[in-house]
Amino acid sequence: MNQDTLTYRSPDERPLPKWLTDQRDGLNQYQPEILEMKEDRSLGISFMITGAVILLAVAVLTIYILRKNRKNENTNPALGDLKRKKNIM
Amino acid sequence: MKQLHLKLLIIAGILSLACTTKVSEWVLLNNPANEYLLVYYHKEPLSETVKQQNSKITSDIKSANVRFRSILKNDIDRTHYALIYGNRLFSKYYNPGELENLTLSPLRKKIAAELMSGKLCVMLYLKTGNDAKDDPALQIIKSTISASPFREIIPVMELDRNSVEEKHLVSMLLNVESDLKDINEPMLFGVFARFKALEPLLAKGISTENINLMIDFLTADCSCVIKEDLPGTDILFTNDWENPLPAMVNRILDENPSLLHH
Repeated sequence: MNQDTLTYRSPDERPLPKWLTDQRDGLNQYQPEILEMKEDRSLGISFMITGAVILLAVAVLTIYILRKNRKNENTNPALGDLKRKKNIM
Repeated sequence: MKQLHLKLLIIAGILSLACTTKVSEWVLLNNPANEYLLVYYHKEPLSETVKQQNSKITSDIKSANVRFRSILKNDIDRTHYALIYGNRLFSKYYNPGELENLTLSPLRKKIAAELMSGKLCVMLYLKTGNDAKDDPALQIIKSTISASPFREIIPVMELDRNSVEEKHLVSMLLNVESDLKDINEPMLFGVFARFKALEPLLAKGISTENINLMIDFLTADCSCVIKEDLPGTDILFTNDWENPLPAMVNRILDENPSLLHH
């Protein structure tokens, strides 16, 4: 950890020992990792996926309910007559 | 399975404790001093006299952080001993008598005793022998240490760079960095752990701010950054570093939590 390779003109200008400059500059401790800002698309992707799931759920439920209603009409014709009467009134 | 969880919890606890151990204490307890290499370079095959002489040297240094080797080499001018640390040549000795007290000296004993007693470090002031240069810096050191909350655990010791008794210690200190031998200025070495000398403050670098930074370095939590790249040079010394007394720095920090830092 010496600094022999550095040149200087007089003892007063001689570089300080590395252990001392490291201590002064706080380099003898673990340096925290430097965090870099990166482009973050996770929020947009999350919104898109959430929207797609909602649309899919609405579509599936709509088809399911429509099919169920149609099936009920076919199996119970009286229910169909009642609806028709309601429409006339 | 529950036992495994308990073991993991205990290991995690130990690891978290390890990270709050202070630098000076962690290095003393966990970091063995680096070894020197004392090499006997010779051109001719070893005579019986030289073998005996080297055997005595090996026996004298066996409890220190140094290993001995003989190397047959044809491209040397004279037979000699070389003291090497890592890949750095510290000194050459052409006479075996020069190796006397290589690993032991009165001041080194005194410094080691302070370190083993739980002190934070020893501030070792290497003087030039010129009072006009030495005294002002010594005043700064003394006033800074006496104003520090850690003053009780930081002894200051002085050493003259012309001391004959401590010539090996002076030589090793001046080899901590390659250009120190050419700089005739007062130097302040922070000596801690198992006789590890930090790269020194010198000339106008011996300031209150820098001395306090040295204290901060030694009283900070021992981060992995420091453990992986420990500064300083281990000084050659004969000592058993087992069972040092508890580090006194912890008591001071417990009594004054505002002094805690990382």
